[in-house]
Amino acid sequence: MKNKVQIPRKKRRFSFVSFSILLVFALLAGSWGHILFIERAHFFELFNERNLEYAKKFFSGLFGFQEEKPAFVDKESWKNAIQLTYETLQMSVMALGFATIVAMLTVIPASRTIADGTLTVSKRWYHWILFGIIRGLYIFSRAVPELVFAMVIVFIFKPGILPGAIALALHNFGIIGKLCAEVIEDTDARPIRNLASAGASNAQILFYGIIPAVMPKFLTYILYRGEVIMRTSIVVGFVGAGGLGQQFKLSLSYFHYTEITLLLICYIILVFIADFISEGFRKAAR
Amino acid sequence: MHIVEINNLSKQFGRKIAISSLSFDIKKGETVALIGPSGAGKSTLLNILAGSIPPDTGIYLLDGKPIQQYKNRRELANKIGVIRQQFDLVPALPAIHNVLAGRLGEWGFFKSMLSLFVPQDKQAAANALQRVGLLDKMHDQTSRMSGGEQQRVAMARLLVQNPEVILADEPVASLDPARAEDILEMLTKLVAEEKQTLVMSLHSVEYAKKYFSRIVALRDGEIFFDLPTEDITKEHLTGLYSLKELSQE
Repeated sequence: MKNKVQIPRKKRRFSFVSFSILLVFALLAGSWGHILFIERAHFFELFNERNLEYAKKFFSGLFGFQEEKPAFVDKESWKNAIQLTYETLQMSVMALGFATIVAMLTVIPASRTIADGTLTVSKRWYHWILFGIIRGLYIFSRAVPELVFAMVIVFIFKPGILPGAIALALHNFGIIGKLCAEVIEDTDARPIRNLASAGASNAQILFYGIIPAVMPKFLTYILYRGEVIMRTSIVVGFVGAGGLGQQFKLSLSYFHYTEITLLLICYIILVFIADFISEGFRKAAR
Repeated sequence: MHIVEINNLSKQFGRKIAISSLSFDIKKGETVALIGPSGAGKSTLLNILAGSIPPDTGIYLLDGKPIQQYKNRRELANKIGVIRQQFDLVPALPAIHNVLAGRLGEWGFFKSMLSLFVPQDKQAAANALQRVGLLDKMHDQTSRMSGGEQQRVAMARLLVQNPEVILADEPVASLDPARAEDILEMLTKLVAEEKQTLVMSLHSVEYAKKYFSRIVALRDGEIFFDLPTEDITKEHLTGLYSLKELSQE
């Protein structure tokens, strides 16, 4: 009598996962080998006397040891910096607003389940064309970094916060659009199908079935991009798009180290506030 | 008077035959249970009856008129209402809006928009919820309700929609036996009160016998038997559910 079940053998295969793990180790060994033995790089040379001296000078400059009146204890400088912070905030809010409006206007035809008609139970020949055009725009918008947009737009407009906002919006609308289109694609089609069998038109399905289901996730993504926009606003400022970034660049060029400290303080406060607010909104949306 | 007449209906998905030359009629006011093993074509048949998928061949007359001649969802929604397993309500909306969704066919776009902020036909929604015993949950979010409650909200929606035929695709499949009986009893009672016609697919023969006047059994896309409930014997049922693989042993 047989009372032992033969356990089926697991087939060992060279899977993608095991391949990539091996590849990571091979790359690590290879790269370090190249750096140490072929390039003959010397790490500790980076930490030589000269560089140490420069770093010391820069950081003591930031803390204002050599200056009699550092900018961060000066009332006028604070006023100026707060004005710039406010401009940066304006720029990011404008950018987020533009990006969100354009993304929301285009997101519905940009989702695959709308284009192929599975979500609205209706097919139209022009759906796929619209889908292609909008997805193409999204890809273009995401492919060009905000810094490049800003450099181009500053050429057209005069430097200021509006070109900065437009540059940030141009890059971010594609990201928001794509993320939100994917949210729509993941929507459960069953409630939608039932609305259709209750006689709802496509527009009614949109407002009764799709928007309530996707709104919380949309809000999360939009707020998240808002945080990112606020952080990136300093980068587009470097190329003349106004706000804290522009002043940062100028102060750095004039070696006004204590101003840089002040600007960094303002910037960090701004980011903190933004994180705090968006966290609050996200909790409320859940 | 026959409200549903189908003749030689067939449907294929790729190479798989879901339904092959089905013919039967349903009288107004009849309650029909569709039973049969998994993959017998029950869902396909209900989807064809609901007009959500077109048949490959055959004729389907709904209230004397070919289904293809119903031009829009609106017109069809007057004749046919559908209830499926749960997950068919919009989870993010309060119950009242899911109930009022039954009116979307009648309402224009602006009225339905307005209703999201100021519910229209509130009285109708309240009456319907009262009849399914959920009046106190009118403003609760649907996703927070239990499976049985969600099915009752779906029934309230059907009451508001008030179609002539109700198609139910395994509406109790994901409920426990007590809740399932509760839903079936309520649905058959409401259908009788409204003088509607009910076609429901079911897995449980017991329930089919208890609540329906006629049972249509499908097997491999064909009608295995089609009898009034009282004529059904044990032999009919063992034949229906017997597995080919088992019978070889």
